[in-house]
Amino acid sequence: MDRWIHPALFFFLGALLLPLFKGKVKKGFILLIPAVSILSVALARYGMYGTYHFLGVEGLFGRVDKLSMVFAWVFVIMAFLGALYALHREEDGHHMAGFFYVGSALGAVFAGDYLTLFIFWEIMAFSSVFLIWYRKEKKSIEAGFRYLLFHVFGGLLFFSGMMLYYYKTGSFVFDSILPANASWPEYLILAGFALNAAVLPLHAWLPDAYPEASVEGAVFLCAFTTKTAVYVLARGFSGFEILAIMGTAMTVFGVCYAVIENDIRRVLAYHIISQVGYMVAGVGIGTAMAVNGAAAHAFAHILYKALLFMGAGSVLYMTGTAKLSRLGGLYKYMPLTMIFYVVGAVSISGFPLFSGFVSKSMIISAAHHEGRIWLMSLMNLAGIGTFLSVGLKVTYFAFFGKEAAEPLPAKEPPLNMLWAMGLTALLCFIIGVFPQTLYILLPFPVEYHPYNLSHLSETMQILSFTGLVFYLLVKTLSPEVKINLDVDWFYRKGALLFMKFDEKVIAPFDTLWGELYRTLGLSALFKNAELSYTFDRKAIDGVVDGTAYSVMDFGAVVKKLQTGRIQTYIGLSLFLFFALLWLIL
Amino acid sequence: MNVLKIIEYLRGKATLLKMAFFLFLGALVLLDILLPREDAHYFVDKIYAFWTFFALAGCFLLIKISKGIAHFFLSKDEDYYG
Repeated sequence: MDRWIHPALFFFLGALLLPLFKGKVKKGFILLIPAVSILSVALARYGMYGTYHFLGVEGLFGRVDKLSMVFAWVFVIMAFLGALYALHREEDGHHMAGFFYVGSALGAVFAGDYLTLFIFWEIMAFSSVFLIWYRKEKKSIEAGFRYLLFHVFGGLLFFSGMMLYYYKTGSFVFDSILPANASWPEYLILAGFALNAAVLPLHAWLPDAYPEASVEGAVFLCAFTTKTAVYVLARGFSGFEILAIMGTAMTVFGVCYAVIENDIRRVLAYHIISQVGYMVAGVGIGTAMAVNGAAAHAFAHILYKALLFMGAGSVLYMTGTAKLSRLGGLYKYMPLTMIFYVVGAVSISGFPLFSGFVSKSMIISAAHHEGRIWLMSLMNLAGIGTFLSVGLKVTYFAFFGKEAAEPLPAKEPPLNMLWAMGLTALLCFIIGVFPQTLYILLPFPVEYHPYNLSHLSETMQILSFTGLVFYLLVKTLSPEVKINLDVDWFYRKGALLFMKFDEKVIAPFDTLWGELYRTLGLSALFKNAELSYTFDRKAIDGVVDGTAYSVMDFGAVVKKLQTGRIQTYIGLSLFLFFALLWLIL
Repeated sequence: MNVLKIIEYLRGKATLLKMAFFLFLGALVLLDILLPREDAHYFVDKIYAFWTFFALAGCFLLIKISKGIAHFFLSKDEDYYG
């Protein structure tokens, strides 16, 4: 098949047509769009589609190869599961924002040049912010604006890098960059990408905004922005050492915050940073196995993280809170939600038989193969933190633990949410048991067998003894009714500090300056004006008036000589003639 | 199948489950000692039950350090940002 319909097209058209439908037809339409896009991805053949010329630049809408396809597959599957989870929402705008968001993420993944990528990159930022605003609370609206501000800044970094890159190379083609060839333009693009991948210290937008998103919106958000960023990093910047180091730092940083956070969705948001850290590190290590691992982990992560956000969202949707300090004993009221959440939790923790085990281990093994033992050990340390906070802490304090002080109005969520969670959980299990279903999609042909004895032993020791420490220190981990500062402090408090500085220093200075101007400047101006006025009157006017008076006096004399008699004129003329003659001679 | 009944049943057998868990931990350490190590390159592969010690120390430090830093200066009241 030489023709191919870009799956983004279905989402964009679907979003525009959605308001035309009503009732059950609308619900069917919401599921039909991602279903058709799954078909479009299934029918895609490798190749280049949709080359276009614009302002003398050649663009490419559809680069369909192994790397873009692995991301496209999980994006369309996730779009279907997310749409199913959000099916009960009545507002068209929420579904439309979701469709535009997924469509633009697909557009970015298939883009073959920086210009096309940039356009979809920006649509992604502007459509996703609505998924935050649809929570319709003051906090969400504020968080949404901060999110937008941050992404506009990231877009600017990318854009300026892209223009400098064009100036340097004369081309917008988006392809692999060698670390040795990289200079300012490439590093600016890298910074723009890194911001979307929540690489430290450009990460604070994520745990600031995602926990404030709508219950259904967070399920979409956790899947697309960071993973599109992982894709573009894998495409353009594999083998960059800085990514290996920063990625590993992210894995540990995320779990440290997850240990101390109280809100389940904030715990999960910090775990996105941690899990994306594995992928960024995989891209940075840059070997075939490591990049495969990054792609595989992105695939597995999208599903289990969405499942976790669905579980946390269900708790929030049914009880009105996601704060661990206010939850407890939910297994009695929401047992199915608990089981699905636990499937997500064991998947993210990398338990054998679940998806994280077959994907995360590929990156850790790649680090081991390369002799990067420090990176490997830190990633395993992050694995401990993952199971500790997502697997044990949240499960224990939300679903077991002490019953909440005030009775929670909890029961299982609507059927569509349960189905979405059930299907996602099933996929996590299928990938864990049949890893080949995922491995055949990976960009490089690599032999890797996760189920070997030493790997099983390593994983089970790490997870089980983490369980033991949790058992011993469970009291220390009790949730606290607190929030924790992150680098967003600098711009949240920083902005307030600036306002204070403005109020206390700039504004008084401005007033003082005004006063100074009024007292000194204005009086000097008045004095100057007065002097000018006097000079004008006395000097300028004096000269002009004096001349006029002289002319007038002279005129009066001349007038007297104008007698009208010819003899007077002749006499006067002769007198003047002789006077002149006398003067000359 | 009543999920709730199964959970309640297991909660009733907590002591038994605890014993089983401790036995399982012992078995894991034993298994790691018995594991063949012919392709061990690095110290993490050579030391017996390395990941057991790693998990115990790592998890303990992770909790203590994270909580410590939080109590030291990161934790603020919920209305800190207004």
